[in-house]
Amino acid sequence: MNSVNDRNRDIGPFVPAPDDDMLICRCEEITKGEIRKAVHDGMWTLTEIRRYLRTGMGLCQGQTCSKLVKSIVARELNVSPAELEPATSRVPMRPIEMRIFANEAKEDDDYE
Amino acid sequence: MKRYDLIIVGAGPSGLSAAVEAAKRGMEVVVFDENEKPGGQLFKQIHKFFGSKEHRAKVRGFNIGKQLLEEAAEAGVKVVLNATVIGLYQDKEVVVKIGEEIHHYKGDSVIIATGAAENMVTFPGWTLPGVIGAGAAQTMMNLHGVKPGKKVLMLGSGNVGLVVSFQLMQCGCEVVALVDAATRVGGYGVHAAKVARTGVPFYLSHTIVEAEGDECVTGVTIAEVDSSFKFIPGTEKHFDVDTICLAVGLSPMSQLLKMAGAKMEDNPKRGGQVPICDEYGRTSLPGVFVAGDVSGIEEASSAMIEGRMAGIVAAEYLGYTDEDDMNRNVESLEKALDGLRQGMFAPENRGKLVEKTEEGIDVSMNLLKKGYVADDEIERYPGVTHKVGIHPVMECTQNIPCNPCQDACPKKCISIGDNITSLPIVVPESECINCGMCVASCSGQAIFLVDEDCGDGTATVTLPYEFLPLPKEGAKGIALGRNGKKVCDAEVVNVRSAKAFDKTNLLTMRVPKEYAMKARFFRATV
Amino acid sequence: MSNNTAEVIVIGGGVIGNSAAYYLAQRGLSVIVLEGSDHIGNGGSSRNGGGVRQSGRDVRELPLVMYGIKNLWPHLSEELEVDCEYHQDGNLRLGKNEKHKEILTNLANNARGCGLDVRMIDGEEVRQINPYLSEEVTCASWCPTDGHANPLTTTLGFYKAARKLGARFISGEKVLELKTVKGRVRKVLTAAGNTYEAENVIVAAGFDSRPILGSVGIDVPMTRSLLECLVTEAEPYMFDQMLGTAEADFYGHQTKHGSFVFGGSSGLEPFNKDNGTPVSSAKTAPCICRGIMKYFPDLANAKIVRTWGGWSDKSADGVAVVGAIDEVPGLYTSCGMSGHGFGIGPAVGHQLAQLIATGTTDVDLSPLRYDRFKAKI
Repeated sequence: MNSVNDRNRDIGPFVPAPDDDMLICRCEEITKGEIRKAVHDGMWTLTEIRRYLRTGMGLCQGQTCSKLVKSIVARELNVSPAELEPATSRVPMRPIEMRIFANEAKEDDDYE
Repeated sequence: MKRYDLIIVGAGPSGLSAAVEAAKRGMEVVVFDENEKPGGQLFKQIHKFFGSKEHRAKVRGFNIGKQLLEEAAEAGVKVVLNATVIGLYQDKEVVVKIGEEIHHYKGDSVIIATGAAENMVTFPGWTLPGVIGAGAAQTMMNLHGVKPGKKVLMLGSGNVGLVVSFQLMQCGCEVVALVDAATRVGGYGVHAAKVARTGVPFYLSHTIVEAEGDECVTGVTIAEVDSSFKFIPGTEKHFDVDTICLAVGLSPMSQLLKMAGAKMEDNPKRGGQVPICDEYGRTSLPGVFVAGDVSGIEEASSAMIEGRMAGIVAAEYLGYTDEDDMNRNVESLEKALDGLRQGMFAPENRGKLVEKTEEGIDVSMNLLKKGYVADDEIERYPGVTHKVGIHPVMECTQNIPCNPCQDACPKKCISIGDNITSLPIVVPESECINCGMCVASCSGQAIFLVDEDCGDGTATVTLPYEFLPLPKEGAKGIALGRNGKKVCDAEVVNVRSAKAFDKTNLLTMRVPKEYAMKARFFRATV
Repeated sequence: MSNNTAEVIVIGGGVIGNSAAYYLAQRGLSVIVLEGSDHIGNGGSSRNGGGVRQSGRDVRELPLVMYGIKNLWPHLSEELEVDCEYHQDGNLRLGKNEKHKEILTNLANNARGCGLDVRMIDGEEVRQINPYLSEEVTCASWCPTDGHANPLTTTLGFYKAARKLGARFISGEKVLELKTVKGRVRKVLTAAGNTYEAENVIVAAGFDSRPILGSVGIDVPMTRSLLECLVTEAEPYMFDQMLGTAEADFYGHQTKHGSFVFGGSSGLEPFNKDNGTPVSSAKTAPCICRGIMKYFPDLANAKIVRTWGGWSDKSADGVAVVGAIDEVPGLYTSCGMSGHGFGIGPAVGHQLAQLIATGTTDVDLSPLRYDRFKAKI
């Protein structure tokens, strides 16, 4: 269910931290500092962070970093991580070559 | 489009169990798994499982996997391997990549049993080669026969961290430390104790400051943390390691359900984002069920029970069985599941400090903080008694749902009673015949056979031994205490291996008699 | 809730709503943006192929998009302080047969009439511009001033910049109805029970615009269809052009990141259903893949990492509806974008802001009026 979220609520200023250059999303090489800054740019949902920075949009589709990103964003917004809805999952579950995705088996093909 | 009564995604413990129950009831079932081998995590589990007979306790995980595969084959389940389900679409359409093609299938019912993936934690250097998940280490060792590293630091003291630490040592790695930011060991005390007694130091309230190395891990620094998990300056400790293993929890792999539009919730108690479902695994999508870790992180034994439930419920959903059959079977499965969810580690106790056992005995604080029961604490447990001649000493100090030891003894020396979580007691007047069945049956490796006074100033201690090379009779070495430190010199006087012991060797060492209740591990001097 | 009044309320936090908010705030007007979903830029704005093109457009939309490409897009990244990844490296609209050639030639002729530099080229010239295209391509229209951009960072960039200028954004605030006061639009009522007030209201809520406008007796005839895109993993650099086809069944580009974003259709789009959230259909992505491989055999081994769907609001004549709604003073709309909303989004937002602030526009919006739809006889 959608919940009313006033994006002009004061979350305080961005304060640089010593570990801001630590990589969080390995696939897309996005650091903790970039994620924290994005929150201060107004990206308050994991979906917005993902679209803005590409976190979790690489080969692993967020399998590794989604929880990490979530806790960073939650801390920056001063809310519980459980309040942040994880970003959407999309087909395919695993990366798949275009030629295979294109190659639909015929009706009664046997796979054994 | 090819239509199945039931499509199951994931051939792990829950998926296969679901398949067996559904197929037995006449359903046409197919199980897809992206791996080249079935069994999910089961074939990585080389340790003996806890529980009771109905949970296949004291059987090693990979053997449970073999049994399950045989059952599935007998029931006529079709298991398709190297088959990656890439999407669960509307109207229960499952799209699978098999070989160089994709296939579309419809399921009249679908069970998602995709399990979980490992969590990561971040620290400077966490992306260096050599930082690996504990599950990944297990895959390397136990499926592919590859040693993950030479010197390993383990982060995480839950059961995964403890079990994998032990397996790393079995595989020939040196585990330099077991570290956890929590103040207490998270996993079973017996798992911790079997690691601690080999000499692995435990650092609770510690975590990793930094992994060192340019191209790969060459070292690691840990430090103590305060109650708000901030580092305490001056407490840094450095270790030369080539591998850092992370055992920091699992997250359900629930993406297929989310993409299909199932109602989801973020539930920290279940390990992350899970589908909202009832106790039988029914999701918000009619005909789509879940079982195992995908609906909440537990362990393989409960996953198998949940799988059976989901299989039966799916059968009833499609009219392959009636409500009576379903209710009867589900009820007994629920009982079995409740059995596993009892004791100190029951879900409702998660995160709580349990200070007393069900018997009212103080829980060992050393066990929770250092991984072993101190010498002055051990005597208070009912399994630890003194007697003339050889007798079992059961260093089982926490209430966990496990009871194979009481059936293992042919002389009925050991009793747990009807309450599966009770601590084992030595039955008065019973007579130990030194057969060793109890030692081998204990999944926690917590039973020893001790002759406290052989009459010549020495004592003998028989302990479970699962390392290679296996010391030979006459081998000289040292005895280590519960804390992994040397207590005295020791000599191996007997080594027993038997089929009934299921690869647990029984090593008997002779020590001066004053160390009979202190010496708990043997290390050969080279 | 405090101060629910502003000079302008924008309904819809997509690229158009956000850009309108940005240009309004820049002009010093107070703005409240109400986004119905939990996420800013959650509709078609984040679910499209990123085309910023003039060629292939209906002539009624052309002046608006040409205005944006000339005046807004070139400096957008600097202005918004976000990398919009705007590339102006041309657009090849591909054809494979005589019928395609005819469609493309007609479109090109019409566009040239509006002053656009676009011409027909043959297969050989196509492959000189983009050597990766297969022999199946026999002709194309070539518009060197077309390009592409990143819809995600552009949409969120407008949001970021507007917010910085003081525009107030509220997500999860689904608008149910508008109310007039003394003949002028005034109140905006939401599902959460909140009321907002403004002198001017812009309705830019995609397909949801229809019931919102309906609450003050305005109807824009539109339908919606579920369009899909897919994206590959990052690939080595191949080309910079935006691509499309004569039948508009395939479009896309290589992004700065290296991935290829392609949209396409199975032909069943107007009839697809969803499950409450826009989802992809099992039939579409394989079809898009087959389409791509016919044009780009070299991409056969590229891995698809993600597919997505989004609802596109399509007006009865397939052309956007933009401008003031004269019958209800103070009310403006941009809806029925018909899949063309991203490229012209900044220009629409810019012109609506100008219209509200000054009463005039640089571009004549009258061909895009809401009440142009007439019966056929």
